[in-house]
Amino acid sequence: MIFRVINIVVIGALVLAAAYVYRIKFDSTVQAEHLAKLRGEVRRERDRIAALRAEWGELDNPARIEILAKRFLQIKPIAPTQFDSLDRLPERPPDDARAANDDPIGGMIGNLDPPETGTIPAPAATPPDQPSGAPSQPSGAPSR
Amino acid sequence: MSVSAETIPSAPAEPWRRRLLRSLLYGHNSNRAAKARARVGLAIIAFAVVYCIIAVRLVMFAAVSDGRVAHRVVSGDAIATARPDILDRNGEVLATDVRVPSLYAEPRRLIDVDEAVELLTADLPDLDATELRERLSSRRGFVWLKRDITSEQQREIYHQGLPGIGFLNENKRDYPNGAEVSHLLGRVDIDNQGTAGVEKWLDNQGLAALHLAGLATDRLQTPVQLAVDLRVQHALRDELVKARDKFHAIASAGLVLNVRTGEIVAMVSEPDYDPNIPHNPRDQSLINRLTTGVYEMGSTFKAFTVAMALDSGKVTLKSSFDAHNPLHYGKFDIHDFEPMQRSLSVPEIFTYSSNIGAARIAMAMGVDAHKAFLKKMGQLDRLRTELPESAEPIVPKRWSELNTITIAFGHGLSVAPLQAVMGVGALMNGGILIPPTFLKRTEAEAQALGKRVIKPETSAMMRYLMRLNVEKGTASKADVVGYYIGGKTGTADKVVFGRYSKTRVLTDFMAVLPADQPRYVLLIMLDEPKALPETHGFTTSGWNAVPTGGAVVARIAPLLGIEPRLDLPPADQQILASLKENR
Repeated sequence: MIFRVINIVVIGALVLAAAYVYRIKFDSTVQAEHLAKLRGEVRRERDRIAALRAEWGELDNPARIEILAKRFLQIKPIAPTQFDSLDRLPERPPDDARAANDDPIGGMIGNLDPPETGTIPAPAATPPDQPSGAPSQPSGAPSR
Repeated sequence: MSVSAETIPSAPAEPWRRRLLRSLLYGHNSNRAAKARARVGLAIIAFAVVYCIIAVRLVMFAAVSDGRVAHRVVSGDAIATARPDILDRNGEVLATDVRVPSLYAEPRRLIDVDEAVELLTADLPDLDATELRERLSSRRGFVWLKRDITSEQQREIYHQGLPGIGFLNENKRDYPNGAEVSHLLGRVDIDNQGTAGVEKWLDNQGLAALHLAGLATDRLQTPVQLAVDLRVQHALRDELVKARDKFHAIASAGLVLNVRTGEIVAMVSEPDYDPNIPHNPRDQSLINRLTTGVYEMGSTFKAFTVAMALDSGKVTLKSSFDAHNPLHYGKFDIHDFEPMQRSLSVPEIFTYSSNIGAARIAMAMGVDAHKAFLKKMGQLDRLRTELPESAEPIVPKRWSELNTITIAFGHGLSVAPLQAVMGVGALMNGGILIPPTFLKRTEAEAQALGKRVIKPETSAMMRYLMRLNVEKGTASKADVVGYYIGGKTGTADKVVFGRYSKTRVLTDFMAVLPADQPRYVLLIMLDEPKALPETHGFTTSGWNAVPTGGAVVARIAPLLGIEPRLDLPPADQQILASLKENR
């Protein structure tokens, strides 16, 4: 009798387990299909990106840009004399000059009297401690 | 079995015939019940094993089938020849894979060849009908009909519904910049296997094995970043094409090398080719002159001669050598291009490019020292880089004093131009010979690879001489304001039918920029430039290669991040003064 009960229980467990395994298996198949589909999409997207990058490379080719620039732009290649370094910029005007909004230049002239403004360094004082490559006339550089 | 099953309810009331049979089969006193149990047990074990096998197989199928599903999608592109993208140093695409459909047929599955030929030639007019018929009539399993068709063609052929005709997506190599980076990149064949340049190097790095194993299907391989800068490459090529046209040269070549890292930032050998278009790879005019060709570099080799002398300490910048008369050696006379008829100091020998002076310097140093120095500078051995193409320098078999004399001014020893650039780079960068590379490299890596060949002071003196040569020597036409270029010219008579030609020359120009803080070495080379009215009938380097070099520098220096500095003092103050301070 006891064996029969055990048998029935085992058979029932077997059926349940089979159903459960079947469900897992089915789910995993669905997931795998989904995964494969996504992978395919990713591949296609990558291929499309690669094709677009190749096309962009063709459009962005310096030779093509040069032709277009020559045809449509007024700009010319920059000459070495047109470069200048930041430390050769004249110093920024003092605050009180900029504060006078209505007439900044007038305010600056008004403030010229005290000697400590220092917008332009005195040329006589600089040459000994300047590096050899630096210019003798800082204010003249940008206009060249 | 059936016998034992029937005889289990054994009883004395057995017919005599059966009893006889049993005694014949089993003997008289066998215990049949025990035997039966053993047999049942055996059967149970056998069945258990079979069921176990089935169960294990089921588990295996369940586990493996996921992978199968993933692979099914890929089967549309069976040819596994993906290649990694190649980028320039700023990340611009130099080479990439694009997917293109290709048309194939399985002739065995084809039903009506005539119909197929008719329909296919209607859609693909450039397909040869007789060849197509021949291919389709063969009994082979698989034939390519046309590689690389458009997606519209694919759609139309697909809608014809021909049996035995199919498509495979193939990787096709695409070079968006066309001919601009051709020699450096090399090319691939129709099966996407590298046949030259960096592409072939990639294959040798293990990619070919991946292809063979069919593993390189996906685009997941990391891109390869090269040291080349596309913008610099374009500027260099543009100027070289212009120079080639202007001077009617048969070829022009140029190279930009970072002297601190050994990176090759640009390399052009004109004429070049568009790697997108298949062509004859054996065309000799299309060789990469910088790595595959060997040339007598002419006077640029005087830089090595002078550096050797200065580095030995026996000769200083103030030493002078007699250049009154042509140098007689055996039956040979060594002349100067512009004879000075007096003693020349070392800087004068360099800036006037005196053959006699260079020869006398080399003779003073001796044959063995000369040979050892050039060996140390890497000029006598084959230079190997990532590119599979390389050429062995042509070194005289017996190196006599005459060889030393001629090699002192750049004749009698043919080297690959890239090799010479490497050597000059070492003379400029403070004396460290760094093997050049086409891949990105940091300064620290380069320092680890490099080896010291000359003293830093010698290098400074050489830079002074190079700058002096631009300020008042043969390379004055390259003095672009603001970049402090130094340079040495070279004009080598070409060997035509075994003798030196007077009219056919190879001119080159080796420039360093900036000369006081060297960062790049530039080589410009022109093969057989012709004299023009504006060159006053001259074909020497100073009239063609040097102005080209100046034009190149003006264009590439801003791209290389070299800041123009105006109002720099002349070379003896800017370069030599710091040398004296250090001592």
